[in-house]
Amino acid sequence: MVSSCMHIVIKSIVVAVFLLFSFLSTLSYGQGDKNQHILNDITKMYMASMTLIFKSQPLINQRGGDKTVLFGEDFIDNIKMTYRSKYGDEFPELSHFLKKMLLQAMVEVMEDNRVLFNDDEIGFKGIIPAIFAAQLSAKLSTKGVGLKIKFTRTKDDIRNVLNLPDEWEEMVMKKVINKPAVYFDNNGMLDGNPAYRQFTPLPMVANCLKCHGSMEDNPLNFGKDKSQWTNIDMTGFEMENWTINDFGGGVSLSIEKSVLE
Amino acid sequence: MKSSLNFLLFCIIFLFAGISNSKSLKIGIVEYPPHLIFQNNQVSGKLFDYINNVLSPLNYDIEIIRLPNGRGVLELKKGNIDLLLPYDDVTKDIDTLASPLFHPVPGLCFKKENFIPILSATHRFKELTVGVPLGAPIVPALKNSEAILLEIKGDDAINRGIALTQIGRIDAFYHPSPAQVYHQENKAYKELACSYFHGYSNSVFIAVSPFMKHKDFQVVDERVKEAMAVMTYSYYFAK
Repeated sequence: MVSSCMHIVIKSIVVAVFLLFSFLSTLSYGQGDKNQHILNDITKMYMASMTLIFKSQPLINQRGGDKTVLFGEDFIDNIKMTYRSKYGDEFPELSHFLKKMLLQAMVEVMEDNRVLFNDDEIGFKGIIPAIFAAQLSAKLSTKGVGLKIKFTRTKDDIRNVLNLPDEWEEMVMKKVINKPAVYFDNNGMLDGNPAYRQFTPLPMVANCLKCHGSMEDNPLNFGKDKSQWTNIDMTGFEMENWTINDFGGGVSLSIEKSVLE
Repeated sequence: MKSSLNFLLFCIIFLFAGISNSKSLKIGIVEYPPHLIFQNNQVSGKLFDYINNVLSPLNYDIEIIRLPNGRGVLELKKGNIDLLLPYDDVTKDIDTLASPLFHPVPGLCFKKENFIPILSATHRFKELTVGVPLGAPIVPALKNSEAILLEIKGDDAINRGIALTQIGRIDAFYHPSPAQVYHQENKAYKELACSYFHGYSNSVFIAVSPFMKHKDFQVVDERVKEAMAVMTYSYYFAK
């Protein structure tokens, strides 16, 4: 009788321990999942803003006119609208301060460019999506909030040295260059601190080729005789002759673990 | 007896309230457009509004003292002012509040017809004569380019550099914070346009007098930190 009772008690303890471990592992998976969700949201918000900047090029570069939609709350509303139409999904809840910080940084970047946008004597303002992304990355790095976001590509093809990939990004790009997929690493490092890192490869699209493609893609050459074509794009760089089948680079996002946990 | 006690309590509270209200804070302000603008003997600008909003709950009697460029640090060191804003010269070994107010980005100012919008295209600097204020820290993107750097000496190097660009004696001028020049209230705006070396920002702080009481320093520093956590000055300026 006693041994039977002992048996039941031991069995109960084993089951309880098993259940406890199962519960804990679910909890830990849930937390990691939640963090990855935040990284996904931030990457998509960043990409939506780049899409909006692309769509806003005529307004940005036009001389004169009302440009208020490029600033402040109007700009945030437009990012939300772009996000909904790009992803067919609701704009993420601003449940984490990093998401709020990202939106604020976007507004600050646009404000930094206000005088230029309203300068009627300058046509091409140079605030294309890649430049906006670089300005946003630089702005975020001044905030000291443990969030780093970068639009990068393989080392030999980078125009702006500040966007050069680090070792981790080089390693990831080697893995995904021929088989594009989001790469998530929950054991990364950022500035010597443990970090979640995610790389989201971007497809090459026709708009990229306007600057990075070949001379026939260059809008500066449209309508001109071939003898007058230039391989310098509208931003002043030599075109790379990429094609639609080339690697489009990607968005690299890093968040220090201490910020999320 | 009870009413006497109440009266005594009232006197004590009144006395202490009087003491707390009598705290004064002298803030030296140097013009820094578009954030701080001196016009008609008045200081205006969003940085002025922001600092007023941040410090007003502390119940200091705040005295604002407008100062010409270069005088601020001198007055701070003498203890004639408690705080100086804005302050961006980290070479002078002056204490500052912990949180930077904002981060100006250096850049190049051009005549509009020669404007280069994207400064990461450093190959476009080849053989351009670029004026730089003597002693100013130059960003590597410019230093390592093929631009011809012409040092401009003197206290008024920045204004002279701008003037030389306007008359075409130099192709561009390196400014530690071109936003101070390239804004619509500036007359030079009609002729010049500036672009930025994003990624090479500096920090602008509130400087603190060596004579400021430690307790006051802590109170002000904590208040500014709190305010920045709710809304940074950069976002206040932008929104």
